[in-house]
Amino acid sequence: MSYAYLFKYIIIGDTGVGKSCLLLQFTDKRFQPVHDLTIGVEFGARMITIDSKQIKLQIWDTAGQEAFRSITRSYYRGAAGALLVYDITRRETFNHLTTWLDDARQHSNSNMVIMLIGNKSDLESRREVKKEEGEAFAREHGLVFMETSAKTAANVEEAFINTAKEIYEKIQEGVFDINNEANGIKIGPQHSPTNPSLPGATGSSGSQGGGCC
Amino acid sequence: MEYFRSGLKSVLGAPPPDQQITGAETVERLVSRVSTSTLLEDRRDACRALKALSKKYRVEVGAHSMDVLKQVLELDRSDCEIIGYCLDTLCNITSKEPFEDENESTLPVNINIGEQFTEMFIKNTENVALVLNFLEEYDFRVRWPAVKLLTSLLANKPKEIQDIILVSPMGVSKLMDLLSESREVIRNDALLLLINLTKSNANIQKIVAFENAFDRLFEVITSEGLTEGGIVVEDCLILMLNLLKNNTSNINFFNEGSYVQKIYPMLILPANIEEIGWSPQKVSNMHCVLQLIRTLVNPNNPVHIITACQKSIRNANILEALCNVLMASGVPADILTETINTVAEIIRGNLTNQEYFANVMAPSTPPRPAIVVLLLSMVNEKQPFQLRCAVLYCFECFVYKNEIGQGQIIQTLLPSSLGTADVTTGQLLCGGLFSNDSLSNWFSAVSLSHCLIDNPAQKEQLLRVMIATNLGTQAVSLLQQNVTYLQQSNRLQSKIGILMLLSMWLAQCQQAVQIFLNISGAMAFLTAQTSASEYDNNEELIQGICAFIMGLCVVFNDNSVQNYSKENLSHLIEKRVGIETYCKKLNEISRHEVYAKAAKQPQVLARHSSDLLLEFEFCKLFKSFEGVIINALGVQRDLHNGISELSLSEHENALLLQYKELIRDQDKKLQDLQKAFTNSQREKDMLKNELEELRQGNSQLNDQNTLLKAQLAANSNSIQTLDNVASPLVESISTAVPYISKNANEEEKQKLIQDLQETKEELDRLRKDQEDLLELLTDQDCKMNVLKNRLRELGEEVDDDSENGSNSENEL
Repeated sequence: MSYAYLFKYIIIGDTGVGKSCLLLQFTDKRFQPVHDLTIGVEFGARMITIDSKQIKLQIWDTAGQEAFRSITRSYYRGAAGALLVYDITRRETFNHLTTWLDDARQHSNSNMVIMLIGNKSDLESRREVKKEEGEAFAREHGLVFMETSAKTAANVEEAFINTAKEIYEKIQEGVFDINNEANGIKIGPQHSPTNPSLPGATGSSGSQGGGCC
Repeated sequence: MEYFRSGLKSVLGAPPPDQQITGAETVERLVSRVSTSTLLEDRRDACRALKALSKKYRVEVGAHSMDVLKQVLELDRSDCEIIGYCLDTLCNITSKEPFEDENESTLPVNINIGEQFTEMFIKNTENVALVLNFLEEYDFRVRWPAVKLLTSLLANKPKEIQDIILVSPMGVSKLMDLLSESREVIRNDALLLLINLTKSNANIQKIVAFENAFDRLFEVITSEGLTEGGIVVEDCLILMLNLLKNNTSNINFFNEGSYVQKIYPMLILPANIEEIGWSPQKVSNMHCVLQLIRTLVNPNNPVHIITACQKSIRNANILEALCNVLMASGVPADILTETINTVAEIIRGNLTNQEYFANVMAPSTPPRPAIVVLLLSMVNEKQPFQLRCAVLYCFECFVYKNEIGQGQIIQTLLPSSLGTADVTTGQLLCGGLFSNDSLSNWFSAVSLSHCLIDNPAQKEQLLRVMIATNLGTQAVSLLQQNVTYLQQSNRLQSKIGILMLLSMWLAQCQQAVQIFLNISGAMAFLTAQTSASEYDNNEELIQGICAFIMGLCVVFNDNSVQNYSKENLSHLIEKRVGIETYCKKLNEISRHEVYAKAAKQPQVLARHSSDLLLEFEFCKLFKSFEGVIINALGVQRDLHNGISELSLSEHENALLLQYKELIRDQDKKLQDLQKAFTNSQREKDMLKNELEELRQGNSQLNDQNTLLKAQLAANSNSIQTLDNVASPLVESISTAVPYISKNANEEEKQKLIQDLQETKEELDRLRKDQEDLLELLTDQDCKMNVLKNRLRELGEEVDDDSENGSNSENEL
């Protein structure tokens, strides 16, 4: 339960691109082919390790539907990281990225790390958006890019962890004001590296590390 | 001034007839001054006066000033004083409560003026956004009334204000910032505002939680002295309850965010609690804390959430702390009751927690298990009713999905363990089952039945239990005693309790059914009850359960009792009761209002002891076996057509599904093939085009080749002729040189040498040209060969001319 830092994430993007499935794959390591529409916002959490430091990720998975836009906007300000997701098999979800990005830039704090995610990379045969296009968009807007599959879990860990690394680096560089909780970052309750493990770490803090660094 | 005089008049004696008009006039004059004055001071004074009048002449002020007040809010926002007056005035006119000195106006009293003015004000949602913006103004004169105005608006139109705040950018954030406010009065009012704002709106609840509400609230609670603190602590806890109740996402967040640990300090009772006692506020605070814990582990939450919360509650030592409260002395009865309920839900279905609880010892002499002490209270008439209900719930939760626990309880009833001196759970339950207090009978019967849920082994074990009813008489089996009691007693509650126990016992246990059928008079009793045509005062429930038990005897019958085999029993029911009557009796149960109440939640909830009739787990049992019984009795056979149709449609359904699958498969294949076809078509076109291009290139190259050949031929000819010309010339020159020198015709010699050189140069140039051309030719040749090869690959016939051409050229 002891962690060095706590990061708040949001997941945004069009409806049906697989935001909730990404979260479920990351927190529960399972895939649910039929997922109910997210109503408003749902919460998930997991512990990861970066630079041998325990970092707790609190993730708010938002509803992609237009009707919930005004509600989900309330979550931009307090988030340190955002996963902006599109579906590589549906071009329109890629075309809407600018709208999402504008919205995020307008309502979030300027240091928020945004990771662009092309999801459903397992459906290569139905691909409508080339990987190069995603890369180009990310380069143009200064985002980190990755193609993932919530179904096969490909790159899912990496997406969440690389975002955390980026935030972590920004903290080391002093870009983030970690004392302002509105930035979506909290320092752990026992912020001392010599604090191995308290009894009763949550189940979700389970197996990770290793491959991530 | 006029309004002072009018105010004075109203204070003095009976109002003159023109009183109303004077008040309204004053208000109108003030309103016009606010809207027309150019000096800020004047507007400010007028607003101050409006504020002063807004209670007494609320209708007038509200009716006339709304627009100018909005205007001031927009235009004079830099002046905190006037904004403060404005907000206060709006607050007064929209107040839900009538004021003491409010003028009895011409409007009928039953119309809620505050609500109407609220409606007017929020019609334009911009106005609410305006007020929200004033929350950011630090000045006390603005921020406080802004909070109060929002509270007032929210009280009148909760849904509308919730929706407006939800969609206004940063609306919730602005309110959340107020929880860190150093001026307590603002913070406390903001707390109340947030409590109302978060009521039954999951989206706002989530945003508030996202905005670090739990951190803020625990900070406030700690600074106010935990449960020893005042009403602010209670408000904080109520807000947390609002955020968590029925909000799985927030509960998950609360648990994952390690906030559970922060509850622990609030459960520690001070060492001198008996001396200082429990203040009413402390009782309220404690009550809220217990509610908070119960919200996390509420049986209606998703199972994975409950399990996770139960685990962190135990790890945070909260279960331990609660057990200490349970065993402490001087705890008020309602807190004790709620603590028992809380412990119940923390251990419900969680083996580790159940085991922990089983090992908790009460500090009595001799030390007894806490569970025994609790059961002692349950079967004690003198204990408060709610407390006894709580103990039952706690016991139910203790054995819920706990095979080991169930076994241990039954074990204490078996002959082998009767040697122990101290009282055991089993003895308490058996004693309670046949005591003179019908409520104890009911509690004990339900408790025992919970030890049998989904546990066939214990059902068989319980068959071995013998009890001695009176001194000197022979011991009889517990099952037998139950039947005897049913036949003799006329206490409704006790009988229902015992019948529910029998239902649980006989269901899915053929051995129990067999023994039951062998008890003389058992079947006769059930048949008599089921076939009875008249009843009063809830006796229909008894008849219903009797019918249910008969049904269970049919379903779980191994045909070992001759007279009551499956067939004989069905026959008996058909003959003696009649299928229709039987079904009607069975239906009496689920139609009864207590059934609906009991089936709602596992916890036993009742105001009065007489309300306790049916129980949650029995309702579940009934629901799952009602249909089975009716089927078994062959009632459905009467509806023969219905059955065949049903089965047919099922068959059709399967067929239909098969076909659907087939069509889907074929569809997919068709699509795949079509795609493949289009792909090949496209490929074919591409190849055709390429071929065409290559052909053109080839013919071009052929032309070039011919041209070059011609040029080459011409060049070699001219070189030949030049050579021919040059060689005699050189010869003649060489022969002529001595002659020339002799003649010393220098000039001529010079000229000749020059000529010679020029000719040589030209020869060199031509040779070089020829070489270049030859090189070019070779290149072209290579190219042509490549192209030819490609053409051959593409299956095209290669032009023979070009072949010959290149050959002939090679000869050159």
